[in-house]
Amino acid sequence: MPPWLLRPLPPPGISKKISIYMKERGIETVCANSRCPNICECYSRGDVSFLILGSTCTRNCAFCAVHKGLPEPVDGQEAAAIADAVTELGLRYAVITSVTRDDLADGGADHYGEVVRAVKRASPFAMVEVLTPDFHGSADAVRSVVKSGADVFSHNMETVERLYAKIRPLANYRRSIKILTLAVKEGRTAVKSGFMLGLGEREDEVLRLMTDIRGTGCDFLTIGQYLKPKGSLLDVAEYIRPDVFETLKIKAYDLGFKNVSSGPYVRSSYRACEMIHPGEAYA
Amino acid sequence: MKKIILPPLGEGIESAVISLWHFAEGGIVKAGDDVVEVVTDKAAFNVPSDSSGEIKKIIRAEGDTVKVGDVLAELE
Repeated sequence: MPPWLLRPLPPPGISKKISIYMKERGIETVCANSRCPNICECYSRGDVSFLILGSTCTRNCAFCAVHKGLPEPVDGQEAAAIADAVTELGLRYAVITSVTRDDLADGGADHYGEVVRAVKRASPFAMVEVLTPDFHGSADAVRSVVKSGADVFSHNMETVERLYAKIRPLANYRRSIKILTLAVKEGRTAVKSGFMLGLGEREDEVLRLMTDIRGTGCDFLTIGQYLKPKGSLLDVAEYIRPDVFETLKIKAYDLGFKNVSSGPYVRSSYRACEMIHPGEAYA
Repeated sequence: MKKIILPPLGEGIESAVISLWHFAEGGIVKAGDDVVEVVTDKAAFNVPSDSSGEIKKIIRAEGDTVKVGDVLAELE
């Protein structure tokens, strides 16, 4: 791995509190399920991205470490459990994401709504960001999620159009653009998207991707380095240098994005609160 | 004999691969020096030495998979 991916050792024990809490209650986080390298740092700050609708996905995206296969029945207690977690852990910004559930008629949109409403009822001052699947492009699903009271609606484009067939074969570039457009049109939430570098994309393709995302009216953007999860067959095509991330960040601001987070270890939910509230101090 | 041990690297990380030793046997290490680089599937870490001394024996080599808590080298 290139030297810029070297990280300091995580401080011992600080992040255990959240990890133990989740394990004891059977609450899934995408942090643990996707083996995110930022987990210690984020947990130590009280940043958590909950994974709802089970931990088995009906898609097969090559970049993702989440388990794929036949999904579990939806857990009716999940909304309450997550609302309790946000309250008991004193979280002020919670990200709610999920596996894709193509087996459910609404793709899980109603369940998203239930979780968000439960969190907001229990912790009215907590901000909630939803990071959603593509709901097969359904406007009803987007509307239902947005009306639940989430503050931020996020849906990741992940990569350039040409690479969709290779890395997101069951997704569709235009469909994901449509989801962002629908969310912006609802007008109730901030709208956010993200993508990875290092999969073999060309510079002109990345510029086109950023232009397409900005064209939907989406204001917030994250850009990170693809890192190969254990067991994946998708090799890193290139470790992108930090200065390239910086250049892209400037180009994104030129395109009109309100806030951009760009760097090798940046992830969609990494420091998500700061993206929406720059300068917000953590307790 | 003091030991260099693979410290905890994060939630759910039980093991790592040694990618680079910064010192060889006979090398003199100060407490706090980075002695070895290890990689997991998604991150790379420099492991420092808690103690000062001379590296007497490198127990685990570059390319070895090591578990948190494994002794990597001995110092005196």
